[in-house]
Amino acid sequence: MADHARHGEGAGRDAAPAAGQDTIELRAFMGLAELFRTRGWPVPLPVRVHPGTTGPELLRQLDIAPEQVEVVFVNGKAVSPDLAVMSGGDRVALAPPGVPGPYRVLLGFRKM
Amino acid sequence: MAKFIRIDMGTRTAEIGACPEKYAGLAGRGLTSMFIADEVKPTCHPLGKYNKLVFAPGFLTGTSAVNSGRISCGAKSPLTGGIKESNSGGSFSQKMARLDIKALVFEGLPADGKYAVVKVDKDGVTFDEAPAEIVGAGNYDAIKVLQDKYGPKVGVALIGPAGEMKLSAANISFADPEGNIRSAGRGGLGAVMGSKGIKAVIIDDAGASAVPIARPEEFKSAAKRFANALTTHPVTGQGLPKYGTNVLVNILNEAGGLPTENFRRGRNEWANNIGGETMAATIEERGGKTTHGCHAGCVIRCSQHYVDKQGKYITSGFEYETIWALGADAAIDDLDAIAYADREYDEVGIDSIETSVAVAVAMDAGVIPWGDAKAALDLIRQIRQGTPLGRILGCGAAAVGQMYGLTRVPVVKNQAIPAYDPRAVKGVGLTYATTPMGADHTAGYAVATNILRVGGFVDPLGKEGQVELSRNLQIATAAVDSTGMCLFIAFAILDIPDGFNALVDMINARYDLSLTGDDVTALGKTILKAELDFNRRAGFTSAHDRLPEFFEEPCPPHNTVWDFTDEEIDSVLAF
Repeated sequence: MADHARHGEGAGRDAAPAAGQDTIELRAFMGLAELFRTRGWPVPLPVRVHPGTTGPELLRQLDIAPEQVEVVFVNGKAVSPDLAVMSGGDRVALAPPGVPGPYRVLLGFRKM
Repeated sequence: MAKFIRIDMGTRTAEIGACPEKYAGLAGRGLTSMFIADEVKPTCHPLGKYNKLVFAPGFLTGTSAVNSGRISCGAKSPLTGGIKESNSGGSFSQKMARLDIKALVFEGLPADGKYAVVKVDKDGVTFDEAPAEIVGAGNYDAIKVLQDKYGPKVGVALIGPAGEMKLSAANISFADPEGNIRSAGRGGLGAVMGSKGIKAVIIDDAGASAVPIARPEEFKSAAKRFANALTTHPVTGQGLPKYGTNVLVNILNEAGGLPTENFRRGRNEWANNIGGETMAATIEERGGKTTHGCHAGCVIRCSQHYVDKQGKYITSGFEYETIWALGADAAIDDLDAIAYADREYDEVGIDSIETSVAVAVAMDAGVIPWGDAKAALDLIRQIRQGTPLGRILGCGAAAVGQMYGLTRVPVVKNQAIPAYDPRAVKGVGLTYATTPMGADHTAGYAVATNILRVGGFVDPLGKEGQVELSRNLQIATAAVDSTGMCLFIAFAILDIPDGFNALVDMINARYDLSLTGDDVTALGKTILKAELDFNRRAGFTSAHDRLPEFFEEPCPPHNTVWDFTDEEIDSVLAF
């Protein structure tokens, strides 16, 4: 089960950044947003991490299967989950397979 | 023998001939652009006697190939002054293909200033006066009147009041299978149709036979492989049907590339309120349709029926770019208000991207307050009323910027830059700058894996690999735009190699050819070269391939700037 705070502003405009010294501010899109809703997690979700937490570590911590995530955004930059590294204070987001457009190439989701 | 139909709107006569040899191997954008390059005087006035409007289905349109029902419309653009191809879904293209019509060409200007309805069927072409009740009317009612008169299943292409006023952003609307609206949106081709006195074109394929297939078994097998690639790919099989293209709001916001408040920043705090996830949940909660196809045979079904709180239909084809432009660029944090604006765009027949960017420019000029949904809707409704301000808005973002003395006007070749900030998604910026169409994200949408050699991840914030990527995307897109295929097939054919092979195999089986993937990309290059040559003869130079200078300002949150040199930009389409 995820180690996260049980509070948040829910729907509406983003509140002040939820990330603190040892927490990241986590968002999720498409089907993963539904997963967050099902689990009653706010958006953004503050998640406590250790410095240098990797993508696979984060997904294990959150109990999200690796095949559900194509890309992890760390501070607005897309990387494959295996290459993602994050620390407290970072803004992180999870995108599943299925993002349309050439943006999977243009945003660096897919190696050419 | 495929027919090539020329319709003279001056004499209201039609000449039905065999397709000229030089166009026999072309279709879709390939045909419209080669034809415009051949026959339209590049320096002509777009609304004058020398311009021509051409409709063409794609190579595979009318067959059982899924997602092959797009119609290409071509002319010299009143908005950009250059060559234009704008394509759309709807039922029109498939009916054209079943009637074995390679192209419909509209020439000349009306002698009397009256609007005609042009009807095309198996017996030929006839001309009627446009019913009085549809002149000046909204497109939804006009389609009902036309389908009551000509039959519920006929294909309809029409202009709304914006096209009648010959506004530079007027579009051509096409009825979809349910009588709702799809649009050839960009570049003002509705104004060209209006200048020729055409209120609507009706196509009735009753009595037409099936599209002939040279090698039917081979076609069937390839079509099955192709459909399989689309339905198993997570983008076309899951992402688009569930959330529509609007799923990109949150993605681009996260990437820092969602232009906000007239391109002042690439991220905002309310994106999730207007994003695809919220939209899908809202539609479900209200009992609308989260998924629906814009033409028969579409298996992606990225469209939807967005409904009001009582479950009543407001709009469909509610796209990311429209929602971005009003929701982020104009800061209207209200999906319902954006849906009503989208409905009005369809009713009046105007490009929802161009006009929404123009609304944001108007806000920047202080005409109405930022984010004011009611004032924005009032402004958009002025287009239909034909007020001076409404007409300025209907002529696009550059017109609004010029009227109010702004320098912060996001256009290239006078066409509004869409929903991806070129400082945060640099590859798309090169496409905006160099495509002969004016700023257009759909000009660089498909990837031809057989010629792409970038060899790694592209950093969207950096310059490396972007020139090659933009070039590749534009070449592949020009080819795909000729097939009649929806551009969203691009994702599946990029990731599933057999999808691309199956596409080529279908074309070969349909026409008894033996094309290879390289032939398809060569076609893309030929099309682009013809388009670039038309623009050169119309007076365009490399000086027109530049982004506005305000893109030298840093774009938060990444604070990157547009920093390509002129030489780098000019190398994109130097092939």
